[in-house]
Amino acid sequence: MNPYTSRYPGYDVLNKRDTPSWDAITRKVIAQRMATPSEPGFLDVVRWRALEALCARIVPQPADRPQVPLAGMVDMRLQKNAGDGFRYARLPPLREAWLIGLNALDEESKARHELPFASLEHAAQNTLLTQMQHGELSSSHWKGMDATLFFSQRVLPDICGAYYSHPYAWNEIGFGGPANPRGYVRMYYDRRDPWEAVEAKPGKERQAMEKNRRVR
Amino acid sequence: MSADAQDEPRGKHGRAPDVLRVGGWVPMREYLQNDEVDFAIVGTGAGGATLACRLAEKGFKVVAFDAGAWWRPLEEFASDESHQKKLFWTDERLCDGEDPVKLGNNNSGKAVGGSMVHFAMVSLRFRPEWFKARSLLGYGVDWPLDWREMWHYYGIIEDALKISGPVNYPWGPDRGRYPYRAHELNAAALVLARGAEALGIAWTPTPLATVSAPRGLAHPCAYRGFCVSGCSTNAKQSTLNVWIPRALQAGAEIRDLAMVGRVVVNDAGRCTGVEYFREGRWQFQRARNVVVAGYAIETPRLLLLSATSRFPDGLANSSGLVGKNFMVQSNQAAWGVMDQEIRSYKGPPSLAITEHWNYHDKKDFFGGYSYMSQGPLPVVWALTEGRRGLWGDALLKDMQHYNHYVGLKMVGETMPQERNCITLADEKDDYGLPIARVTHSNCDNDRRLIQHALDFMETALAAGGAKDIWRETDDTCHLNGTARMGSDPHTSVVNADCRSWDIPNLWICDGSVFPTVGGVNPSLTIQAIAYRTADRIEALASRGEL
Amino acid sequence: MTLSRQTWTGVACALAGVAAVAAISRRRRTERLLHIETSRAFNRSSALLACSVLTDSAMEHYRGAFSNVAMYVPPAVATCSLLAGFHGGADRTPATHTVRHAIYWGATLTGLAGTGFHLYNVMKRPGGWSWQNLFYAAPLGAPTALLLSGALGAAAERLRNQPAHEPRLLGMPAGKALGLLSGIGLAGTAIEAALLHFRGSFQHKAMYAPVSVPPAASALLLHASLTRPQPRWLARVVLQLTWLVGWIGTALHVRGVARHHGGWRNWSQNLFNGPPVPAPPSFSALALAGLAALRLREGERR
Repeated sequence: MNPYTSRYPGYDVLNKRDTPSWDAITRKVIAQRMATPSEPGFLDVVRWRALEALCARIVPQPADRPQVPLAGMVDMRLQKNAGDGFRYARLPPLREAWLIGLNALDEESKARHELPFASLEHAAQNTLLTQMQHGELSSSHWKGMDATLFFSQRVLPDICGAYYSHPYAWNEIGFGGPANPRGYVRMYYDRRDPWEAVEAKPGKERQAMEKNRRVR
Repeated sequence: MSADAQDEPRGKHGRAPDVLRVGGWVPMREYLQNDEVDFAIVGTGAGGATLACRLAEKGFKVVAFDAGAWWRPLEEFASDESHQKKLFWTDERLCDGEDPVKLGNNNSGKAVGGSMVHFAMVSLRFRPEWFKARSLLGYGVDWPLDWREMWHYYGIIEDALKISGPVNYPWGPDRGRYPYRAHELNAAALVLARGAEALGIAWTPTPLATVSAPRGLAHPCAYRGFCVSGCSTNAKQSTLNVWIPRALQAGAEIRDLAMVGRVVVNDAGRCTGVEYFREGRWQFQRARNVVVAGYAIETPRLLLLSATSRFPDGLANSSGLVGKNFMVQSNQAAWGVMDQEIRSYKGPPSLAITEHWNYHDKKDFFGGYSYMSQGPLPVVWALTEGRRGLWGDALLKDMQHYNHYVGLKMVGETMPQERNCITLADEKDDYGLPIARVTHSNCDNDRRLIQHALDFMETALAAGGAKDIWRETDDTCHLNGTARMGSDPHTSVVNADCRSWDIPNLWICDGSVFPTVGGVNPSLTIQAIAYRTADRIEALASRGEL
Repeated sequence: MTLSRQTWTGVACALAGVAAVAAISRRRRTERLLHIETSRAFNRSSALLACSVLTDSAMEHYRGAFSNVAMYVPPAVATCSLLAGFHGGADRTPATHTVRHAIYWGATLTGLAGTGFHLYNVMKRPGGWSWQNLFYAAPLGAPTALLLSGALGAAAERLRNQPAHEPRLLGMPAGKALGLLSGIGLAGTAIEAALLHFRGSFQHKAMYAPVSVPPAASALLLHASLTRPQPRWLARVVLQLTWLVGWIGTALHVRGVARHHGGWRNWSQNLFNGPPVPAPPSFSALALAGLAALRLREGERR
C-alpha cells in the first residue's frame, strides 16, 4: 500500500475558488504559483537536472496525480533572489549556496558511482542525501560550505516550503486552504465545517471521497 | 488597479490609505523637509507608531518613517503563507554564534505598522517582580520603571486595542476586566487546558489583540487562522488599524517606503534630522528630536551606521552597550498526535496559555516561561518537521497527521549577555548600507530553563491526551535588549524616559530598551513604554527640558 | 316582482329568530371570552416561542453536527409545539385539548432534559462552570425556551377547563399564575440575553435594550400579579415595548450578521458566528403572554 495515500481522497481546495473561502488576491496569487513553469530560468541545464532529482527524493510525489512543479518553484525563487531576510553566517547567500550545493551533489555522486545524481537509482540517491544530512560529505567541491548546513538550512526548507505552499499538497494533508472572508465556525475537535476536508476513516474511503467531491 | 504597495509610496499628496475601508483614503498632513518638525520617528511598529500617535495627539509635529509598505489588509492580504512573506524583513542579515537565531516570521516585520502587522496578538503584562529582576529575583538588572506605573499604562493600551481576554486572569495583581471577552477555544487550546487541569496548574484563554465582537469598522475575528500572515478582516487590533489612524487624525505624517540610513548629528552633538531613501533618492528631514524605533536589530544598526568622528562607536554609545545584551525568547515546543481531529489552524494560533512558570519560583534557574497552544499553517509546519530531519517518504507519511497534530510552544526568558550582540557586517544591502550581524549563544541558565520547559510541556501534552510526542528543540521569537534603559549612563543607553544619555534629543522607543525580557510576548510592554514616554515628553516639554 | 305577505312574514320571523339567538350567544360568548381569549393568546405565544426554538435549535444542533442523536429531538418537539400553538390559537373550545396538552408536556419535559444535557456539556469541558463555557459551550438558557413554550401552552390548556368566572390555576387566581409564569419567563430570557450580550461586550448601545426593558416588564408584571388587582397602564406600556424590543432586536441581529466579515454572502459562516437571528422573537412571544395575563389579572378580585 502506498504509505502516504491521502487520508482525504477526492478533496480539492481548488473547488472552493468561487466560494467565500477564496478572495480575488488569493485566486491571483495561487494561479500564478500553479502556473510556475517546469523549466529552468536561473539554473543551467546540468544543475536543473540535479535539482529535479533532488526534489523528487526530498518530496516523492505520488505519480497518480498532477505534479507540483517543485524544481520550477525553487528555480523561480533563485531567479528572483528572494531571500529569507537572514542567513547563517557560515552559509553563502541563497543563489551561491544552491549553485555550489547542486554542483557538489553531482560531483559526490560521480565520485562514488561515476554518474551524476539524476542518473542514480532512487536508493543510491537517498543514501547520498542521508550522508549529506549527517555530515559525511565534505569534498572540495563544497567550496568550504558545510554540507549538513546546506541540507538543513537550504535543501529542506526551500524544497519542502515550496511543496507545502501548493494546493495539491494542501489537498493531501486535508488543510482547509485559503479562508477569506469565510473562516471557520466549528472550533471543537472532531467537528468539521461543511467546506472542510472529510477524513477517510479505515474502510470508509469511498464515502469520504464522495463527500469530498461535494465539499465547497 | 492601484499600484502595488511595494512599488510606490502611498503616504503622499496629502492623503494616506484608510485601512478600514476598501480603497479608502484619509487626509494626511504633510510637512516640508526643511520644516524642523518636533519629532522624526524611525519605524512605525509597536513603539514608533504608539509614540507617534500620542505625541501628535498632544500637539507635537511628528513625521514617522517606515522602510516598509503601507498595506491595505482588506484587499491585499492573501490567504497564503508564501505570498504574505511580503510582510517580513527580507533584506539580508547574518546570523552566527553558538545558537544562531532564525529571523523572519517570528520577529521581523517590514511594513507600516512594523511587526504588529504579522504578530500573533498575544497581549500579556509583565509580572511585577520582573521590573526589579535583580533586587527581587536575583538575576539580570532592575528596570528603572515602577510596576504600578506600568500597570496603569497596560490598562490604557489594553483598552485602546480592546483586548479580548478572560473575565478573570489567574496570575498577578488585579487588572480589571479585559475590554472584550475572550474567544472560543479551538481544539488545540482545549488540549492545553486538559493537560493543565490534569497537572493541577492554572490555564486561561489568552488575552488577544483581535476582537471577539465588532468594533467600529473592524469585523470580529473570522477564525481563518492566517493571523501571522496578516489579518485580512481587521479583527487584529494593531498599529496599522489603531495607532496609525489615530496618529493621522491628530496631524502626524507617515512616510512609507522610506528607509532611514542615518541619524545626523551636528558639531554640538545634537541630532538635526534623518537621512532617508525614498522614491529613488536620499533625502533629509530636519527635526528637533529623533526617535529610533526600528526594533532590536535595526535600531542598533542605525545608531552604529550613524557614527561620526565625534561618535566613532555610533550614537548614544558611550556605555558601549548599543547592540549588546541582545535577547530573544526561547520558543521551543512539544508536539504530539491526537486520536481526535484537531485542525489546529482554525482560529488564532495561541488561544490558550499558562503562565504558571512565570509566577512560581521553585526552579533551578532564573527567569520564567509561559506556553501556549499552537496552530501552524502548512509551510511553517513542514519546516518544523524538516528541522526534525524528516524528508522523503517519512515526511509525507507524517504530514498525513497534520489535522491531528497538537502542540505546546513556550515563550521563555533568556538572560542578558553582552556577548549576544548586533554588529555591522562587511556585506552591504541594496541601499549600500552595511548589513547587521546577529550573534547569539544560549547560556547555561537559558539551557536549564529550556530543558525544564520541554520536560514540562511534554508531560502536559501527554496529560492532555497526545501520543508520539517529540520536541522542537530549536526556535526563538522576538528581539530585545540592544539599547537598554537604566538609571546609570555607564550601564545603559537610555534612561527611564527612553532618552539617550549621550544625546539629549535622541530617543529610543521599541523593544531594544528592555533590560530583561521576561517570559511573555513583549508587544504590550513596548506599547505601554511608548505611551508613557509620550507623557514624559509632554511633561519635560512643559518644563522646558526638551 | 313583489313578494307575498306570507313570504315577508316568514323572512321577518327568521330575522327575529337570528337576532334572538345572536343576542343570547353573544352574552354567553362575552362571559366566556376573556379566559378563553387568554388561553388562545398563550397558545399563540407558545407558538412564537416554539418557532424561535425550532429555528435556533435546528441551527445550533446543525453546528454541533447532531453529534448526539438526542439533538434531533428539540427541533422535532418544537415543531409539534408550534403546530399545537397554531391550532390552539384558533380554538375557542372551553376544554383542554388532549393532544395539544400532551405535546406541551412533551415540550416541557424535553426542555428540562435539554437543560440537563446542556449543563453536562458545560461541566465536562475544561474549566467546568466558568464564563468561558457559559459563553461557548451549549447555551443553558436555550432549552429553557422550549420548557417555557411547553409551560405556556400547558397553562393555556388547563385554563380552558376553568370556569369563566374566577378561573384558577395552580391553587391561585389564573391571572396571578399566568402573570407569574410569563414574568419569570421574561426574567429568564433577559438573563440569557444578558449573558450573550456580555459575551459580545455590549459593543453596540442597543444591546442594553433586552437587559433593561424586559426586566422592567418582568418586575412590573410580577408586581401586578402579587399585589391587589387593578389597572396597570405602566406594565402594559412596558410589555408593549418589550414586544417591540423583540422585533427590533431581530432586525438588529440581521444587520449584525451582515456586519460580520463577508456579510450575507458569507452566510454559511455568519449565520452561525453572528448574532442569533431566531433569538429575539422570544421576547415578543413572552410579551404577548404577559399582556394577556395582565388583562386577565386586572379583572380579578384578589
